Formats: sequence, C-alpha cells, structure tokens
Amino acid sequence: MADHNDPNAVNSIFSDIDASAADLYDLFGFPSSDTSDGEKVVIALTFAAVPHAGTLDPDMIYRIQMTAEPRVVHPPANEQSLDSFLKYVEAVKDKYTGALHASEIRMHVDESQRATVEFFNFPEGSFSVVVDTNKVLNLDTPGKNRITAYIGGRDDAFFNDLPGFFRSINYAPQFYHVPHTMTEARELPIPKTLLELEGNDLFNYDPALPEWGRGYKKNLPPGPWTWKGDKFRKDENGNFRFVYSGVDAQAGKNVNAIILEIPVKFINPAPDKNRIINVWGESWVLKAANKIETIPDHPLWLEHPFAFLDPRSKDDELQKYKLVDTDGQPFADAALSEREDNRQLGANNFFLAPHFVKRLAHLGWGFGPSISALGLKTSFDHDNSPVSVHKTYSTVLAAFPRVKKTLFQPLNMPDNSWNPKGLNIALRRPFEIFVPNVCAIDMDTTGTWPFGRRLEDQVATRFLSMFLDMEAEFKGKKYHLELLNDQSLWDAAPIVPRTPPNPLKNDKDFSDKFPYLAEPHPEPGYKPTYK
Amino acid sequence: MNGLTDFQIEMRAFELDLEDLRPPALAHPMSADHVTKYVYRLYQRAALDGNLELFQEVEAELDGAIARLGPAPDLCLLKANLDFKLHRVAETRRDLEMSSGLAETSQGRAISADIVFQEGDYKEAGKLYTELVEKERTWDNLARLAHLCARIGDVAAADQLYVEAEDELTAKEMRSFAWVELQRGLLHSAYGRFPQAHEHYDRANRGYSGYWLVEEHIANLLAAEHKLEQAATIYRNVLQRVPKPEIQQALGDIYRHMGKQREAEECFQKALAVYLRSAERGEVHYYHHLVDFYCDAHRDTEQALMWARQDIEVRNNSSTQAAMARALHLAGRHDAARQMIDRALSSGAREPGLFLQAGKIHSAAGGNGMGEHYLKLAAELNPHHSAFHVHHHHH
Repeated sequence: MADHNDPNAVNSIFSDIDASAADLYDLFGFPSSDTSDGEKVVIALTFAAVPHAGTLDPDMIYRIQMTAEPRVVHPPANEQSLDSFLKYVEAVKDKYTGALHASEIRMHVDESQRATVEFFNFPEGSFSVVVDTNKVLNLDTPGKNRITAYIGGRDDAFFNDLPGFFRSINYAPQFYHVPHTMTEARELPIPKTLLELEGNDLFNYDPALPEWGRGYKKNLPPGPWTWKGDKFRKDENGNFRFVYSGVDAQAGKNVNAIILEIPVKFINPAPDKNRIINVWGESWVLKAANKIETIPDHPLWLEHPFAFLDPRSKDDELQKYKLVDTDGQPFADAALSEREDNRQLGANNFFLAPHFVKRLAHLGWGFGPSISALGLKTSFDHDNSPVSVHKTYSTVLAAFPRVKKTLFQPLNMPDNSWNPKGLNIALRRPFEIFVPNVCAIDMDTTGTWPFGRRLEDQVATRFLSMFLDMEAEFKGKKYHLELLNDQSLWDAAPIVPRTPPNPLKNDKDFSDKFPYLAEPHPEPGYKPTYK
Repeated sequence: MNGLTDFQIEMRAFELDLEDLRPPALAHPMSADHVTKYVYRLYQRAALDGNLELFQEVEAELDGAIARLGPAPDLCLLKANLDFKLHRVAETRRDLEMSSGLAETSQGRAISADIVFQEGDYKEAGKLYTELVEKERTWDNLARLAHLCARIGDVAAADQLYVEAEDELTAKEMRSFAWVELQRGLLHSAYGRFPQAHEHYDRANRGYSGYWLVEEHIANLLAAEHKLEQAATIYRNVLQRVPKPEIQQALGDIYRHMGKQREAEECFQKALAVYLRSAERGEVHYYHHLVDFYCDAHRDTEQALMWARQDIEVRNNSSTQAAMARALHLAGRHDAARQMIDRALSSGAREPGLFLQAGKIHSAAGGNGMGEHYLKLAAELNPHHSAFHVHHHHH
C-alpha cells in the first residue's frame, strides 16, 4: 500500500511563531512598602497577552517557585579565579538538584476564566483557592495570612529599546525576513557593538527608513553576512552613531500577569534569618494527549532536559504539561542564553555557567571597545582594541581571563538608597546574578536590581553597565549601575543621538498601590468581557 | 465556538488569514515574508481540505513567487513538500538543490530521508531517521521513524515511537495529535486488532473533531469488520465534503460487496474519471490508485500493468513492487509475479498484507512451499486477513 504517512501531510512546515501565552516576559520582585501587617514581598510574573489582555489561555499553567535563604557571600570577594567560580557553580548545582524544598504558587484558568491558584510546600502546607481574574483579591490562607493577588491584564511594565539591543548584537530576524529554514541567520558574525561600525550596511541606521527594525523588515540579501571594516562609524562632526535610540519599543503594549503581595512569614518560618527570597517563573502548556482527558500512554524515556532532574519530582498534574519558558533574571535569555529552546532551564541553569562565561566574553569583545571609544573605562580586557571585534571561544579557560573582571566585580549602586537600613550588605557580582537564573530579592534592600527587580528599574541599561569598570570614576564618583542612564554622560560624549540607550521610564506611570502595574491599553476591535 | 468543529474552525482561520495576506502578498515591491506566509497558508488549506486539485493553485502561486523572488529557501522547501506530496520524487530532490544549503537544514534532511524511504531503501532510511531524531527529537521526526518501524514489522517499536511523538505535542497541536492517533489505529488495523484501532480513531476524533480524514479511517475500519452499511454511510457523508476519487472507489467496493452493482459502477466511473484526468495532466499521484482500480474495480490486467510500470518509474519501493506483482499475478504471469514480490520482500518490509500477497503469488507460481509459508505468516500476524479490505492510500 502506498500509504504516504508522512507527517508533513498535516504538519506545520514552518513553526508558525505567533505570540504564545507561554511566552514569559518579566519577573519583578521587591519588598513591599506596605509593612502594616509585617514584611511583604511583591512578585509579578508577566507574559504574552494571548488571546487578549485580561483573557488567559486555559491550556496553560504558570508556576512561581520560591525559596528563602540567608544572605551569603560566596566565594569571598577577593577571590576571582576560574576555580572559585567553578566551585560556586558546583555549590549552586548541589543546592538546586538536592533537596531544594522550593515552595510553589501554581495558576491556571478554566474556560470561564476563573483562576485556580494552588500553593504548594509552604510552611502552612499546601492548599488551593479558586478566584476571579482581573480583580484585586485578598486571599486568606489557612494560617490567617493575607495574600493580595491580581491575575489578569495590565500594561506591559517593560520599557526598552529592544530594536536597539538587537542592532547591537546584529540580530538579523529583527531587521530582515529571515527564512525559517535559516537557523544560522540569527546573530550574524559581525562584532557586537554599542557604536555603529563603518560600512556595516546590514544594520546601520538608514535615515530614509526610520522604521527599519521597528516593524519594517527588509528581505535578507544574499550572503556572506560579514563585516570587513576596521573602525567605528563617525559623522562629519566626528560623532559616533549610537545603535540605541532611547525610544520605548514596548510603549502601548499589554501583558497578562500574576501579581502577588505575600507576607514574608508565609513564605518562610524564619524571616529574620532568611533575608533572601529567590523567585523564578515557568510556563507550561497542556500536552495534546491530556487535552482529551484520557489517561495517555507514557513514554519510557525520561523527558529532556537531563537525568538528574528526578522524574518523581514532577507531580501528576505537571506530567500532563510541557515546560515551555522560564524566567528569572532579565536578559538571561536574550543576552546570555541566546534564546535557544534547550536552554530553558530556569533556576537549574548552573551547567550553562561555562557557556555564560564564553558568551559574556563574546559580548565583551563587542561592547568593551565601544565603551573605550567613548572615553569610558571597561571591565573587559580587549587589549586596547580600537574597534569592536567578533570573537568566540570554544573553552572557558581561554575566555575567562578576558572576562574575569566583568564576572567578578561588585556592581556599584548610584547611592545608598537601595540599602535603607544601612546594613553591611555586599554588592552583587554578575556571576552570582545570572547563575542560578532566579530573581534573588534581598528583603533588607529596596529590591532594586540586582537586589530584586523593581518596576521602575531600567534593567536593560543596568545590564550594559556590567561592562563598565566599576573602579573607574566619572565626575569624581565611581562608576555605578545607573551611569549609563545619566543624561549628563551622554551630553559630554561624542555620539548621536545623545541619549541613554533605553527609555528612563515606562510609557504609563506605575501605581503606588497594588497591583502597581498600570491598567491595560484598550485593544482595537476587542471588548473585554470582564468589568 | 458556535458549534463549529475543530476542522471548521481551523479552515475558517485559514480563510481569514488568506484574506489578510492576499493583498500584501501581491503588492509591489514584494515582501518575501508575506509571500511565503500566503503561499504556505494556501498549502495548508489545500492539505487540510483533502482536495488535491487545490494544489494546482498552490503550485501556480509558488512557482510565481519563486520566479519573482528567486529560489528563497522557505519557498523551495514548500515546493519540495508539495512535490513530495504528489509523488514527484525526482522533482523533490531538485527543489532541495535549488536553494543553497537547504538540503542540509533539518527540514531538508527530513525530506531527503523521506525520499530514501519512498525509494525503498529502508535500512538507509532508518539510519537517517534515527540521526534526525537524535539531533532533533520533534514529534514529526519520531513519527517518521515510527512509520519505518511499522513498515519493517517492528510494531512494538512503532507504537512506542508514536507514543513519544504524541508526548511532544501540546494542546495547540491537536490536528497533529489526531494524525498520530490515526497512524496508531492503522497499525492495529493492519494486524486485525480492530477494537484497539477503534479506540485510537475515537481519540483522534475527540482530539480534532469534524476531520474528514478521521471519518474516512473509521469507515475503512468498519468495512474491514464487514459493517458495510455503516461504512457506506460515512463514506457518503465524507464524499459530500471531500469528493476524493479514492473514497469514491472505496464506496464502490462496498456497494459491490453489498450486491449493489449499479451504485458500485457509478462510483467506479466517477473515480476513474478523476484518476484519468489527473494522469492526462501529467500528474503522477494517482498511478497507484489506477493499478488498484484495474486489478479490482474494473479488472483489466494490461491497464494495471501499464500503470504499475509507470508508478515504479516514479517510486520504486516495496509498495509499488507489490502492486506490480499483483498485477502480474492477475495477468497469469506467475513467475514474473513471484520475482517481483520477492523483490518487494527483500527490502525488509514485513506487513501482513504483503505476506498475504506473497502467499497467493507463490502458491500460484507453485512448487517451493513458500506460498503456504507466507500465507501462514500472514494469518499469524493478522487473523482477520481475509476480511474485506478497502484500498487505503493517503496523500
């Protein structure tokens, strides 16, 4: 019989990459200013507003996991060796693959948009509630703690020049129609850079096409897609051209969100001792077999990712779902994990640590010379290269010396406002921010990044600041995480446009009241059914 | 959604997409992205609809897009899929070469492996499919390997791989899930395990409702169980929506078995007209159906042999060889039939239907006891092998 039972008979030839409710956006976490009934922490997980802002997808489960632990400094601040880094990674691995005892808040909606919120492994135990969406709710736990919750549509709290970031990494799909089959045509083999490269016509700003990369894409020209130049681009006035524009590409966009304000004593029984609350988010989508509510056959094989994830740890409900996305630190995906699906490992990203070192070194060869060209000091050792370089590493050993300072330098804060109690809290270092990939909220701080993440933090610019040399000075003050947000820096720089790379604030003001994120923008042609 | 089936909802979504995509796709200057999406949607609609004549429109648009935009990889991949679907193996190979590097992409390698399978080299196809799965454990790569295992008689491995394929699918891919369930059902049906086949077809239907392909499989199964009236009802219902000639022929077979010769003949004439019109246009995808037609519906062994020869020229594998062997057998050319069926068996294919065929042919050719051997094997694998069996081909 000529049964052409080829799956392509019905398959999607190209994975139709539409926005998906599984696409997690941001994870915010910070101490609440409302301490009326004891300390509280605010956690907000945002994700794609699919099918609409305020209407959630019943095929999804969202998880917010958390642990609480004491503040620890390891390795000691003066150790900056590859060996100490690897020991740190090993310790993280032991913690996250051992008896982690993470608590979990799990949410899904039914067809009528009622949300089931389940609480697992909290000191009070495990319990669940069913609540309305798109309303501020007070949930009283069995132990008489009060959690304030909002599940539904909000304005996207992320404000960012994402096209600018993609221009800095020469990311073709933002600017070109890249065929689905061309998986190699993503970050093109052109130096990463903050300043345009002379002759890099594949990405340099074209005043005749201002919307290029901001909605408009060109057809991808034939290769090779390389750059043969040797200098940064300068205009007739001797100014560099910034790859960033400072324009908010996220303005006017909505998200769906799970926003919670939780008493710290609900999360851990020793809140005085365990001052760090680690949070990470996950999205899971229902498996096809479980959509039809039968007991499906189970494959013998263990699921990806790796054998040390104990399959017994996946409970009966989760067995019916497939992990799609994870969220912890901003830019852990985009900047460091390069968005590959098999790197969606969330908190368990410790064995990606060697990749992070190599990746950071690769970025450093691009951003470092850009920073130097502007007359600033960089934490990356680029041998005084006059221009950005495209360089990749196959071994951590080769990459590490270049990026050592970038990895290990404590990140200065602009002032002491982050530490309102004036405690002896060590500044955070990049290696411990991104491994593990969690939002580590320090309850003795304001929770501003990297001590958490507040809504108003311009994290994209702070991420770039990791490549500044924190021992250098600007106007008599040590470099710090907010330096690149300082307009006066750009006013004095030989660059156009003279602007911080990313917008300084969100298009909509945040509220000082729960749920803190602004109301969603109206969607043309859609009338929400909720009030 | 308003009482619509999943199939109707998806077809409607395709139509709406096409309305939106049509104007930008035809605009000048042409955006590769829009054109690709537009032609792809046309392809998906045609594939889901089941009407092979819709592919003429797809082909025209695709060729036009390639002429205007050049051999863009996505367009060439789409063309390769289209040609493969229509049994044009040589053209499929050429399509993959049209765009530099396309054959080395994961999708290109998958189609290349499919070509090897269609050419009957199951050992090599198995190696390629295994490599594909090791590199990218997608549901469709797993399903490819499963199909190969089914072809060579490793039924347990085939079903296990289908289960794994399903495990990769999410609630956003229910049509694909239904398709895998159909394959699992077919596997059971081929071995006479009709209740299990029904279970899988039922799951397919619950997973993706209103799909003519599922209904057709159910009708086939009912026919195999000799529930001819029920089968006929479903076939008639499907034909109202999807006038495929092979379904027309299947209904004709059923009518004949019910003693309704006039109705049977009407169906056969309709089916034949479509087959011949297609062949006159130079299309090759109905050759195999024509072989079956002239072996069964309208016995004419010379016609059967002619179409079998042409089909083998297009795709030389155990299926086309077995069809040729049958035509030779019916034409009384028993030695040639035996040689051809042995060739089919030498590929490693092991299926009850093939063994049944081999048994009959060897018995007619006489002498070596192999006829009884294959008949016994066929009966062991499928105790219901003598049941009425509707020809079952899918594009």
